[in-house]
Amino acid sequence: MKEELGAGRRKLEGELRNLVGNIFVPEVKVFGMACGCVGYAADLRGLQSDDVDVFKEKINAILSELSKSVGVEPEFIYARKLPGSEEVVTLTARELCERCKREFAGSKASPRPDIVVLKKRR
Amino acid sequence: MRLIIPHPGHFPALKEILAYKESEGIKDVAEVYMAGSPDVMGSGRATLHAALVDEIKEQTAYAHQHNVKLNIVMNPSCLGGYHLTLHGFKTFDWYFNELNKAGVDGVTVAEPYFVELLREHSMETVISCVAHVDSPQRAEFFEALGADAIAVDTNINRDFGILKAIKKAVHCDIRVLVNEGCLYKCPFRHAHFNLFSHITSSRASSSQNAQVQPPNTFGDYYFDKCISIRVRDPSQIIRSPWIRPEDLKAYEAIGIDEFKISGRANAVRWILNCMEVYHRRELKGNLLEVLDCPSELRYTFYLDNGLLDGCIDQWKNCKKICDDCRYCDELTSKVLKVIKK
Repeated sequence: MKEELGAGRRKLEGELRNLVGNIFVPEVKVFGMACGCVGYAADLRGLQSDDVDVFKEKINAILSELSKSVGVEPEFIYARKLPGSEEVVTLTARELCERCKREFAGSKASPRPDIVVLKKRR
Repeated sequence: MRLIIPHPGHFPALKEILAYKESEGIKDVAEVYMAGSPDVMGSGRATLHAALVDEIKEQTAYAHQHNVKLNIVMNPSCLGGYHLTLHGFKTFDWYFNELNKAGVDGVTVAEPYFVELLREHSMETVISCVAHVDSPQRAEFFEALGADAIAVDTNINRDFGILKAIKKAVHCDIRVLVNEGCLYKCPFRHAHFNLFSHITSSRASSSQNAQVQPPNTFGDYYFDKCISIRVRDPSQIIRSPWIRPEDLKAYEAIGIDEFKISGRANAVRWILNCMEVYHRRELKGNLLEVLDCPSELRYTFYLDNGLLDGCIDQWKNCKKICDDCRYCDELTSKVLKVIKK
């Protein structure tokens, strides 16, 4: 998995730079939560929510590919903004537990105002 | 009963909350509350959305179409003295005036100076629990300043002697937060509110110097300690001054019928569930599911709500000398289990 994570970080940074401009991806990681969710997350600097709106499909495709490369099914893909701002600080692809299917992905509205939902498997 | 509902701030969330209220026939919903603009001032809790005045105006009109009031929460516990500068006064006075023009029904504040400023406006002035109104004397003080309603300090939620005395002392409305899951007499409470007040404020509002940034802290010490304390000593979860949905009637019996649900930084679906549970006054299962506390606790513990029937009779007269009493310690072993995965 070490190779996939390193290559994924480089690929995501490169693709975002091609799409948007100078974007920095300092870190990508695979995580497992106490509730049962697992996921793939990339920390970002330089990306704004407008960029995410414009390149939503392309970002979804990249995140899907990268999360699958480490065994995470990208059921729910979202961007997290710095609260109260338009700065996107994380892109996450998550395989949801039953609780989070209801609680986090169960509303028509975005679950929280700092979350921009990019893909939700119905 | 009047339910006061948290709103994370984005318009789609308000639409979903009000649609759910109507589809489920939850007529008790009287008011929703959301944070104001962090460009103006910080807030006592996490603020996830920066609503501009135009958006607040639009959301207020939408809430009114559904017969629900909209309240803007501006309750930092610390402004670093900025509010007492001429620039600060002008900023806040301008903002309150804009909210008033936007049709907002009320503003929730913790700072006594803001209570006086708000007297110039027709909006309802609600005192935040961050002002820690925990006695008839303090309630009278805020009422004299101009309070229309007071959300009392959650630390007195289970002290019916004090609650009754406050009700008797003032004419304004008294609200209780029903599901705040904070530690009873939390030693971090003031420091944590102060931290939030500064980190939720954007750079220009906390100082006359527009270049000053919110502090870049290395973590939330208080939040991490709060979880750690309860993982080590789960009886602290029982001592927290939450109010079960089944126990609202005990508060109505002493004249308190305004129940505020805490949790404006939570997911919309979680808010809808809390709204329904408190409306129905019944919860089967894990009480932690509706408490506004770190989600780690509800992933770790199961607090069987059904086994808490009748506990309010002990708590409402409790002297809160835990080392002598031990009631909550003994109760913990009966009602709280670690979830096995």
